[in-house]
Amino acid sequence: MTLAEFFSCSLLAFGPPFAMFALTIANDPVRIIIMIAAAFGWLVSFLLSSLIWFAVSPLRSYLAFGMVFAIIMQEACRYGMYLLLRKTEAGLKEISENHEICSNKLEMAYVSGLGFGIMSGAFALVNVLADSVGPGSVGLKGGTEYFFVTSAAMTLCMILLNTFWSVIFFNGMDTKNYPKIMWVIGSHFFVSGLSLLNKKELYVVTILPSYIILIVTVVIAFKCAGGSSKGLIQSFTGRPLVVEN
Amino acid sequence: MGTKNFLYSVYLCFFITISFKVIRCERLREQIYSSIEGGAACFRRLNGTHQAGCSSSLNGEVGVVQMVYNISDAQWLVHNSTAGPYMAVVSTALYYDVIELLLQEPANIAGILLYDNATMSPEFFSQESKCPNEYSSDPHLSQCVKPGGIVWNEKGTGLLRRDIPYPIFFLPKTRIDDVSKIEDCYNRYNLDRDNQKGRPLCSLQLNSFMYAAVNSVVCMRRSASSVFLSSNKVCDPLGDYNVYYSLFPRAKETEATKKPVTLVTARIDSASLFDGIAPGAASSVVGMVAHIVTAATLSKMIPVTDSKLYDQNVLWTLFNGEAFDYIGSQRIAYDLSRGAWPPVAPLSPSDIRLHVELGQLGGSLSLFKSSASWPLYAFAPYSSTNATASKILEFLGEMSTYSSLNNITVSPKFTSNIPPSSLHSFRRILRNVTDSGSLLEILLVDHEENFSNLYYESALDDYEHIGYVYHNISISNEGVFISTDELLANGTMKETEAQVKIANLATTLAHTLYQQIAGKPYTGTVKASAHLVDEMLYCFLRSQACRLLLAADYASSPDEPPAERPLPLYVGVAAWASPPAVYAGHLLALLTGGHLRGNKSDCDNRADTGFSYYWLRGWNHSGVCIETTMNFSQAVSPAFIKSDYDLTSGEFSTWTESVWQAIWARVFVRASGAGARLAAVAGVLATAAAAVVTFWLQRDAALVFVDAPPSVAGIIRTVNC
Repeated sequence: MTLAEFFSCSLLAFGPPFAMFALTIANDPVRIIIMIAAAFGWLVSFLLSSLIWFAVSPLRSYLAFGMVFAIIMQEACRYGMYLLLRKTEAGLKEISENHEICSNKLEMAYVSGLGFGIMSGAFALVNVLADSVGPGSVGLKGGTEYFFVTSAAMTLCMILLNTFWSVIFFNGMDTKNYPKIMWVIGSHFFVSGLSLLNKKELYVVTILPSYIILIVTVVIAFKCAGGSSKGLIQSFTGRPLVVEN
Repeated sequence: MGTKNFLYSVYLCFFITISFKVIRCERLREQIYSSIEGGAACFRRLNGTHQAGCSSSLNGEVGVVQMVYNISDAQWLVHNSTAGPYMAVVSTALYYDVIELLLQEPANIAGILLYDNATMSPEFFSQESKCPNEYSSDPHLSQCVKPGGIVWNEKGTGLLRRDIPYPIFFLPKTRIDDVSKIEDCYNRYNLDRDNQKGRPLCSLQLNSFMYAAVNSVVCMRRSASSVFLSSNKVCDPLGDYNVYYSLFPRAKETEATKKPVTLVTARIDSASLFDGIAPGAASSVVGMVAHIVTAATLSKMIPVTDSKLYDQNVLWTLFNGEAFDYIGSQRIAYDLSRGAWPPVAPLSPSDIRLHVELGQLGGSLSLFKSSASWPLYAFAPYSSTNATASKILEFLGEMSTYSSLNNITVSPKFTSNIPPSSLHSFRRILRNVTDSGSLLEILLVDHEENFSNLYYESALDDYEHIGYVYHNISISNEGVFISTDELLANGTMKETEAQVKIANLATTLAHTLYQQIAGKPYTGTVKASAHLVDEMLYCFLRSQACRLLLAADYASSPDEPPAERPLPLYVGVAAWASPPAVYAGHLLALLTGGHLRGNKSDCDNRADTGFSYYWLRGWNHSGVCIETTMNFSQAVSPAFIKSDYDLTSGEFSTWTESVWQAIWARVFVRASGAGARLAAVAGVLATAAAAVVTFWLQRDAALVFVDAPPSVAGIIRTVNC
């Protein structure tokens, strides 16, 4: 019963990112390198934020304090990743066998965002997963047994958000479009702030708005990447002649 | 941190757990599980042919909590429950009524948690068999198992000797909080009995995995390392030390000057089904305390320096391991039969004139708590028409002159049905002297038929059930105890109290023994002190951090006092010397031995072959050199020292105890599986959706992302050229 919980929660949290990784990243070594580099970047941000948390000992027990610095550090590292990728883009293209890489400028943003997200998701969920193996489940001191599935759903949301935040953030930087960057940082604070409500077991209140933010973020990222809804609809109805021209 | 520490809280928690551990961050694990501390587990013992006791699986048994409040709960559990296996949570008051039912149909039961409830104390509670030690009793002296025989331990359930298919844990009265914790959880989740399947249910996990299995032969073989394989020990033989002390030193005796001895014995050990709990108040402590106090009294009546005036000696012996097929007395009888006990100046069985055993004495103390009298019974394994019987009657006649002065009646019982005692060991192993009557045997107990102690060798055989109340009277620096008469006169104690009765018994027995060895009635004034009895009972029943044991401890041992709880009297494994025998031996030495002047090195350098010397703390804790004949001898069954012994023969005790690594219990809520199903469905859908969308967008990227921002074209072109 509980081993099923472990595997199904893992599937929920990491299945979609894995599918994305397998279809878009796994076939290109350069993308894999970038993804790993981004994951490392997230770890650096985590190390820095924990150092701050540790240094400011009187505020250690306040979750919100650590959270604020964790977000600031993550966004700083996202900016660092942006600078790094923009500096190394040409070189990466050189060593890549696939010269089609970077045909879309935001491809790297997507790859690094996924790396960022997967690492943050791994850290968020690994402890929870470790305890989901059983034989017990949450409930003795309050809480419901849906804790594990909500944790996994929230983790999935964060992974996807991080992916698309990177796309928006990189695009915002490229085009000096600061409202987009404000959206990234603002929604990051908002979603993380919502997760503080988990303490009060208001899962619906956390998850529903988070997924609404995710949908909005996906739409913005789609636009940033140059996606057009017309093109999307056309892709369903068949390939128009226009493109073949 | 809150209940649902998530994302960032988990980040932080993770960081703390792996790196600094500065502040206590509540892990999710602590939200899920609540451990049950202070539970004592039933463990596994093995004999030559069987295994007895409990074991869980390697990771512990998990079962749904079911509070058993009455018999119908237990019947429902066994016959009608649907979400099994279950953990039955049973109070000691209900134990007797439901245990057979739960053992008969173990399929639906994962284990039992037994708890003691101060408000509902059972009237009887014993896991010992109805006929304790029936397989090592002398068949001519035991009718317990025969139809029509007196069943000694009538309310015994015999769990101690049975192979129990699941773990059993015991929670003492002091841990009732844990029971209410379980009950709360049970009330929240498990009350709707008919719809338990597919719901989250309050559950218990009990872990008491035992390494040994099958029987002692198998586990000893597995424990022995061979040339080819090194192995881990899986079981150890039970055993400890017997204590003996002679009134006069015997070491320098020659064949010509050898004095016949009267052997006065009692037992040290008790048992219970559960690890670390063996209070044994009525089962053994009262007999042992009476024994030590009698020895102390007699040593005051006859100074050791007067040994030349007497042509008889008294050998006081405390047996250990008697609960498990008479380990201690079998060993001594065996050693006597081969001329090896005591190790210095061995006795031959014919040197022993009389054997008086102080058997189980405590049970009737509470029955007669409102009366000053205390009826005792002297069992003698002879027919009343026999010539031997008259010798016994002679002894009892002498005894009755003293006992009537002390409000005690001793009724003789000539019978071939002797309660469990070392008499059985002596009969079986030293048959030629015991049968012929050259070694007279008497057993003093407080019951005529069934045991008066209804908690025989159980976890509840404690001070409350013998009605013992501590008086806490201080002891002078010279170790002088207030006499019983004075205590009674000034109203500190009443004649009905256990302390006074035990002191009276000790006085009676000491005076009788005096008459035996001196050949004339005792006319002096030395009597056993109820004050001493009070202190000694406190040491063994309430707290080992007591005045007597502190004074009787080695002066060199560390100053920190022992824990303020009674010592479990379980015999333990032979590889470890357990404290009860050491305490009893030191008490005998302190109370009967000579207190010599001098310092520690003088004491260590003394070498009189008749005595041994102990540097103990003494009454004023400044150290005292004790000259005593007290000594210890091994109480390990002959089965483990005879090289060619067949462990399956049943001749000697073959008990071994399994090794275990961890014993723990925890309560938690088991998931119904709804969360897992939801996660699985959502996971499959999300993964499939992500795969389709990604695939679609990638395939049609050129079509969808028409306004893609261009790459940094300039550089690339130059590089690519």
